Amino acid sequence: MSDAMLRELDITNFRSIRGHIHAPLDAQVVLVHGENGAGKTSLLSAIELALTGSVQSLERADPLYREQLLHRSAERGRVLLRTTLDSADKNFEAALDTDGALTLGALSVQQASFFSERAYLPQSLLGQLIQIYQESGSDIGSPLAKFVGKLLDLDRLDALETGLQPLADVRNVRKITTGWSAAETEKARIERLLDSGIRTRKAAAERIDADINRLTALCGGLGIGAPVSEGTLDQVLDALEDQTDASELEARTDQLRQLGSIGREMQDAQRAREDSQLPDAAAAAADFGDWDKANGTAYADLRTRVQALIPEESLPSELASFAGEALTRLRAIAAELSDRAAQARAADVRLAAARLERQQASDQREAIDGEVASLPADAGSLASALSELTSFIDSDICPVCDRNYADMNRGTLSDHVQAKVHSLSGSASRLLALGRSRGEAQVLIERLDGEIETLSPRTLDPQKLAQLDREAATASAAVSELDAMAPTLVQGGRLLGLDVGARRAVTEAQSRNSALLAARETLRTFSILVGASEVTVTESIADASARLQLHLMAETKRLGESLTNRRQGIELVASIRTAIERRDEMDVSINTDAKALSAVELSLERAQALRDQGQAIRRAVDTVRSLIIRREFNDRLNLLWRDLFVRLAPNEPFVPAFRIPTGETQRLQPKLFTKHRLGGDAGGAPGAMLSAGNLNTAALTLFVALHLSVPKELPWLILDDPVQSMDDVHIAHFAALLRTLSKEHGRQIIIAVHDRQLFEYLRLELSPSTPSDSLITLELSRGPRRNTLCRHERLTFREETALMAA
Amino acid sequence: MTHSPIVSAVKSRLHAANYTELATPLRVAGVEFPFTAAMRGSDGRALDLLLVLDTTTGDFGDKDATRIRQRIEALSRALDVTGSRYVVTAILVGATLAGGIDALAETCRVLQVDGIPLDASGKPDGEIAATQLDDQIRVLLPLTLPLAVTLVEGSGGTAMEQLAKALGEDVDAFVLETLIAAAADGEDEVITAVGSLIDGTFEHAADKKEGRP
Repeated sequence: MSDAMLRELDITNFRSIRGHIHAPLDAQVVLVHGENGAGKTSLLSAIELALTGSVQSLERADPLYREQLLHRSAERGRVLLRTTLDSADKNFEAALDTDGALTLGALSVQQASFFSERAYLPQSLLGQLIQIYQESGSDIGSPLAKFVGKLLDLDRLDALETGLQPLADVRNVRKITTGWSAAETEKARIERLLDSGIRTRKAAAERIDADINRLTALCGGLGIGAPVSEGTLDQVLDALEDQTDASELEARTDQLRQLGSIGREMQDAQRAREDSQLPDAAAAAADFGDWDKANGTAYADLRTRVQALIPEESLPSELASFAGEALTRLRAIAAELSDRAAQARAADVRLAAARLERQQASDQREAIDGEVASLPADAGSLASALSELTSFIDSDICPVCDRNYADMNRGTLSDHVQAKVHSLSGSASRLLALGRSRGEAQVLIERLDGEIETLSPRTLDPQKLAQLDREAATASAAVSELDAMAPTLVQGGRLLGLDVGARRAVTEAQSRNSALLAARETLRTFSILVGASEVTVTESIADASARLQLHLMAETKRLGESLTNRRQGIELVASIRTAIERRDEMDVSINTDAKALSAVELSLERAQALRDQGQAIRRAVDTVRSLIIRREFNDRLNLLWRDLFVRLAPNEPFVPAFRIPTGETQRLQPKLFTKHRLGGDAGGAPGAMLSAGNLNTAALTLFVALHLSVPKELPWLILDDPVQSMDDVHIAHFAALLRTLSKEHGRQIIIAVHDRQLFEYLRLELSPSTPSDSLITLELSRGPRRNTLCRHERLTFREETALMAA
Repeated sequence: MTHSPIVSAVKSRLHAANYTELATPLRVAGVEFPFTAAMRGSDGRALDLLLVLDTTTGDFGDKDATRIRQRIEALSRALDVTGSRYVVTAILVGATLAGGIDALAETCRVLQVDGIPLDASGKPDGEIAATQLDDQIRVLLPLTLPLAVTLVEGSGGTAMEQLAKALGEDVDAFVLETLIAAAADGEDEVITAVGSLIDGTFEHAADKKEGRP
């Protein structure tokens, strides 16, 4: 008895099985019978689902088959498979709902694939097998190739092989990766960078060498002793920047300029001496002397007098202008003096008249004052009081003193009073008129007093007036005299001017001569200063000057060149420094780039290593595949297949076989052919050589042969209605084969058949033949409420007695 | 009773396959059934009842298919009556019968043995003759399986295991696992997987580069 056995199966609402069924399986052979649609295939699929978590045949037909696993009328279902596996009880369970199945405790992947590939032959796979014979193509896509590939896991190997194909060609590697070509581009880029960096660095280094050579030469020329190298650039630069040459050049330039100005001065002096003609100074002096002799005294006398007349101002000393100026001034003085005399006389006359008028006005005022004094001062008020009083007087009785005025006999009191009022009123008018006249007189007096006061200072006493007149006369006389002398004075002025001019010209000529001398001296000193040979007396100033200029220019040129060299040297130092900087930068960038390059190269190496691994896998795939193909499709398989086939078709002279692939197998290209079972190829494809029944036999036996050709991982052989089109002869042989497998090779066989006769026959044929042997039959049918029913019967061993008598 | 050489050869081959000869005529349910020979299997084949019929010499009228069929049907019925589970196999040895075999096959398993060249000692003459004989009664013989493939060096396990074995240490285990897993979903997945594996090395390098100060 095997240590692995399917023991019992409980199914609820799975596929076409409605409701719950229980099926014991713990027998060597389990025979399942049911009409089509009763649930045979469902029962066998349930085993596969529980064991592997999927139903391969359904999956091949419909990837979404999981949604169809639950019976249509139910909401949940369950499959429970009890087994003995590796000598222990093990349950496999799948819970079903409308979304699919949840499997608990499935087989290991290897066992599951063994089960799906070699233990369970669903009808669909058998159909596929039969198709293989009918379409016996031998190409990669042929049904046989697909079937065998799937069966032996070769399709995965093929997928690996094809999938790794692009690795062979780097162009394809670039296509299937994103990083590869990017890394290659990056590598190329960095290499370019690195290359250009190295070139730049080389150029910089060469530049440095060349510049240092040039600088060394320059420094030699400049007399700079410091050694020139990259390390001594600072010292060299210090030496180059020395300002001595520059200041010397400045000095030389100054000297050159000085020389120029000296030369110009001398030229001026030379030219002036040559150009000017000296006036005759002696003649001019004589002329003026003559004039002075003739007119000098008169002029001096006149001048003294005029000066006396104009004491407060100084007169111009020049002869010509003196006459004009003095005349103008003297005329003004004479006019003023006459004027003053006339005014003094007029003031004297007016003063006398004013005094007289004053006397008269004073007399009038006194007369008015006398009259006013005689008049009562209050006449007006009294007259007014009295006129008021008149209304109270109606008789002669005085209302004041009550005396009778009549007694006086001077008329009536009323008249009296009225006369009195009248008289009083007349005095008042006079008083007013007098007052006005007095005021006028007073004003006149005051005006006259003021006039007198103003006039009094203007008057002069007679001596002073006479003096004034005398002075006026003197001035007039001087005017006349001056008028007469004016032309002479102008003449004298002109002579004096000539005399002075001549003298000045002479003086200037003298000073120019001495300047020339001084210039020569300067030139001599200068020649010593500039370090040229001394200017000698014999050398002309122009020659000396030209010689000095040449000397200075030569010096300037030398210094200029030296400065240019220094400047070039400084520029060279700067250029060397820039180049050094650039070289150092390049060193850094070369370093960085080199690192980046090695990083990229490292990644590419890694990627290449992966590519190599992939290719190694691909090669190994090739090897393994041909190994497997050789292993599987060898003489053993053919022998086994032949054995099985001949068992089922003993009268068929031809047997199917695989053409065993030889040589390097890229892909499985299995070819089926038939050969005569007693040797020699018949050559034809099975489809052409075998009958339909024998084709089915060939398919079935191939599956069994594949099952038997490997170590039995699971000793189970589950066949779903494999004998639909076999004739009875074959069924008998097939039954014998099943028995052989079950009883000699320990396979637990579960076989479903729909044919009643076949079922009965198999039940007989597979009956237990030893006490340890067992057979279970399961009969599936639909119950009255359309729930699935499973009737099971266990057949046990029974000692055969029929022939005992014999 | 002596048999023809071919009958002897068949019996001898069946003996070798653990069949035991039964006394003939067979007696079932009190009825006697004469046959050239009758044999019974052992163990798993204990219910196999073999009837050898010599169609050449024609013992018991065995040249006639109809008579053979009648006799065997009678035996079957007798066995049924006794409730026996014996499975009958008729081995027709000798000349091929003209007809009636198909009808006989409805009653029992029918095997025909003929045209086997025999040597002087009555054994199949040569290997081909032996195979020929075996083929004709093969369904009765034990099935010999070839050596299990694992016994062949280095070829055991699933295709993927063998692949891993073939590669040894040359290939990174992770790479192989990734690719094998992808292979289950087809070649396109393999291309994608190998592409991203290779890309992974670049990302790795990029990370490292960025990570570096």
